Amino acid sequence: MNRALAWARQDMRRVIAALVGLVLAVLMLPPLWILLQDSITTTDAIGDVTGFTLAHFGKLFTDKDALRSIWNSLVFAAGSTALSLIVGGVLAWLVERTNAPFKILAYLATIISLGTPYILHVIAWLFLLGKIGPLNDAYRTLTGGTANLFNVNSMAGMILIEGFLWSPLVFLLLGSTFRAANADMEEAARMSGATVLQTLRRVSLPLAMPAILALALFVFIRAIGGFEVPALVGMPGRIYVLTTDVYEATIVVPPDLGYAAAFSVVMVVIVAVLLYFYSRLSKNAEKYHSVTGKGFRPRPFDLGAGRWIAGAIIIANFCIVLVLPMLTLLWMSLLPFLRGFSVAGLSMLTLKNFRTVFTAPGYVELATNSLMVAAAAATFIMAITALAGWIAARRGPGGWLLDQLATLSLVFPGICLGVAVMEVYLRVPLPIYGSLWIIAIAYVIRFMPYGMRYVYSGVLQLHHELEEAAGVAGAGSLTTLRRIVAPLLSPAIIAGWLFIFLVANKELAIAVLLASPGSQVIAVSIFDQWVNGQGGELAAFGLIWTVLMTVIACLFFAQGRRGGTDVFGN
Amino acid sequence: MLTVRDLTKIYANRFDTQAGGVREVSFDLPEGTFFTLLGPSGCGKTTTLRCVAGLERPDAGTIAVGDRVLFDSASKTAVPLNERGIGMVFQSYAIWPHMTVFENIAFPLRVAKGARPGQEEVRSLVEQALATVGLAGYGDRPATRLSGGQQQRVALARAIVHRPKLLLLDEPLSNLDAALREEMRIELRRLQQQIGVTTIYVTHDQSEALAMSDQIAVMEKGRIVQMGNPREIYFRPANVFVASFIGAANLLSGVCDGAVAPGAIGTVRLTDGARIGCLFPAGAADGQPTTVSVRPESIVFADEPLLNGTVTAASFLGGSARYDVRVGDLVLRVVGGAEDVVAPGKTVGLSFAASSAVVVG
Ligand SMILES: Nc1ncnc2c1ncn2[C@@H]1O[C@H](COP(=O)(O)OP(=O)(O)O)[C@@H](O)[C@H]1O
Ligand SMILES: [Mg+2]
Repeated sequence: MNRALAWARQDMRRVIAALVGLVLAVLMLPPLWILLQDSITTTDAIGDVTGFTLAHFGKLFTDKDALRSIWNSLVFAAGSTALSLIVGGVLAWLVERTNAPFKILAYLATIISLGTPYILHVIAWLFLLGKIGPLNDAYRTLTGGTANLFNVNSMAGMILIEGFLWSPLVFLLLGSTFRAANADMEEAARMSGATVLQTLRRVSLPLAMPAILALALFVFIRAIGGFEVPALVGMPGRIYVLTTDVYEATIVVPPDLGYAAAFSVVMVVIVAVLLYFYSRLSKNAEKYHSVTGKGFRPRPFDLGAGRWIAGAIIIANFCIVLVLPMLTLLWMSLLPFLRGFSVAGLSMLTLKNFRTVFTAPGYVELATNSLMVAAAAATFIMAITALAGWIAARRGPGGWLLDQLATLSLVFPGICLGVAVMEVYLRVPLPIYGSLWIIAIAYVIRFMPYGMRYVYSGVLQLHHELEEAAGVAGAGSLTTLRRIVAPLLSPAIIAGWLFIFLVANKELAIAVLLASPGSQVIAVSIFDQWVNGQGGELAAFGLIWTVLMTVIACLFFAQGRRGGTDVFGN
Repeated sequence: MLTVRDLTKIYANRFDTQAGGVREVSFDLPEGTFFTLLGPSGCGKTTTLRCVAGLERPDAGTIAVGDRVLFDSASKTAVPLNERGIGMVFQSYAIWPHMTVFENIAFPLRVAKGARPGQEEVRSLVEQALATVGLAGYGDRPATRLSGGQQQRVALARAIVHRPKLLLLDEPLSNLDAALREEMRIELRRLQQQIGVTTIYVTHDQSEALAMSDQIAVMEKGRIVQMGNPREIYFRPANVFVASFIGAANLLSGVCDGAVAPGAIGTVRLTDGARIGCLFPAGAADGQPTTVSVRPESIVFADEPLLNGTVTAASFLGGSARYDVRVGDLVLRVVGGAEDVVAPGKTVGLSFAASSAVVVG
């Protein structure tokens, strides 16, 4: 009798693990499988496999354009990683470790950029650096010629924009590394007679190096899979990278899905290899985190008169990351048609675009759709990962497998996952393809790893004795889960929910292949409007949306303060 | 009341060859005993306690409370931890921060198997428990607004509220400051005697163990090396490890002079030739190398000395005075009265009773 009971008790967690594992397997495995299958088979018009072929890969590795795309991808990713690390790193150090003024501006820019769809930033920068933008305009006025200073539709333009797109994230993540570092080591160097720069070079940087390298890999992975900048900046200049090749191969008529799949497989392999090194590096990086007491705040460096230079850097960054793009969007939204900054333009200002956004039928529905899909995906993810993450973090039954399944989609760049999800659900005999459901499913697959990370580290922060005490007191594992784990984990779960909600509304790549006219989400709709030249309405709508998302981003940061976890986007 | 037989739990360790855990731990506790597991950090005290609680699954052995077998590797019995009806205070206290003090303490009653006490009964039981630990009136406090000592009391109240047969305490005082520790030590012991619950107490602090326990088991590297009441442990250490772990011990080495029966007094010839009378708990053969332990308090300055030496250091401790006395190559520690001050450099004679010099190896 006792033994049967014992089995039942233990089975409780096994039952949960099995159910959650099943859901995860059904969601996560088919996309990977379908990509592999498509890349090495030929199919007929309705998608049934007709034969085995290596032609897709053959084309990929012999076609000069394809090889160029691979090379472009690497240059693009490396360049933007370097730029974002330099910008974000300098900023993080100044803000966290020195007495530079105006620190609040750096946080402000970060919070707002977290809520803004990438594509809005990209559009603003296209304008600022483009032919009619103020930069080239001023140059032409100065030289009196018609030649432009800078061609934004170039690799340099792509790197510049992508680099500043990622610098806020670098700022946040490196900021927490610098915060956690032990100030005593730096103080000791200063006491030994080292200058600020010597201390930085010989103590601070070497100590932070593992964390910096891990972060560099992380940004590199994200940039390889980046879509907004290659699509909006690169494609018009005929500069193709892997993600835009996948996109092109999918949207041409008839679509060359085998080729797209082969491209995707190449990217997945690259990302998987990088991820492997990333996980090894970041394990290493954690070792270098010095243990510090609660509420410990390292003493900042005194920069002396240099602090005003530091302040200028912070303000400059604030302008580049936030003020300029937002002003640009405002300018665009207030003019009836797209034109450069000019005094003459001021006389044409109108609120017509804003009126259209509020009265035309599509926009409100679009906003509601986007919010609902993101909310549904975030809710589902947190429900699943609350269970999976708990079991994995406590090394319960099947924990390792659950962790692997839930984080599997990290290997997919957004656009590849889009292709794979489309392929899978085209074959499912349910009306999922063409509805909002498919976008929700894609979000769930893509952002599941984030939920997992939030819950996992949330559980690790709970002393295991809190759960054991419930067990000894007589509670079974379900009761412990409900009465102890879930309430204590709720800050991490809420933080994870908000984060997923924000990023889901931010990304274009994942949804661009899945949205259809009747089922749109924000980022895709903005993309379409940009392509169709509806810049004004887009800007007006984008600004309103940014305000809304900023409110949610503020909630997210407030939640982080309240003892949520420090994980951010990886 | 509690029987533990040949309890073994080995942690396979990838990194070094010495696997942690416990090996063949056995003890038998009469009802109401205050039993202490004492040993240095990493010796397996927590592991033993967690096996009894059901938080770890032993590799082998038997655990039974009264007639009820909680674990038996032979018959593959393993009662799940939540059905063992044990009270436990964790080292971290494990107070749930999202509940009030009252809800923390009421938890074991609310999740009890079978007949759960009604609302009124829960209230009275919790209030009783609060009163027992001296926290009457604190029920409505959020658990996060408690001092270390109060958290400790809440953890204790939660462990006893459902009247467990067995109470487990894992280094409950180690997170408190020195003064509070002293106070709680007395209070814990009083409380245990008041409710009469059989208790296993884990600590690495020998003075805590000596002051509180009915029975002490000294552990080393996963095994119990000696079990007995505090006086036996202190004055009759079974080996060199126990002698030096519990209090300060002067260890003298020499050889046995003539065969000695177990438990008899014999003579040991020290390396410098001096002969001293010693107690041989296990007996010895003629010429056997031996180590003798003598407590600092057992040594007195004497006119007819066993040993002669020179005082090398003296420190006044208020109630007593401590001396280092060089005897040949050895430095012996001696604790003497506070009044008769002996200055460093002085030659002194030392003596001790044969019954307080114990052969430990
Ligand atoms: N979960 C575990 N995995 C591996 N080794 C462990 C684990 N728990 C304890 N050990 C090892 O077992 C030994 C005894 O540990 P423990 O019972 O916690 O010691 P104590 O409580 O006496 O300090 C130690 O060497 C410890 O490293
Ligand atoms: Mg311990």
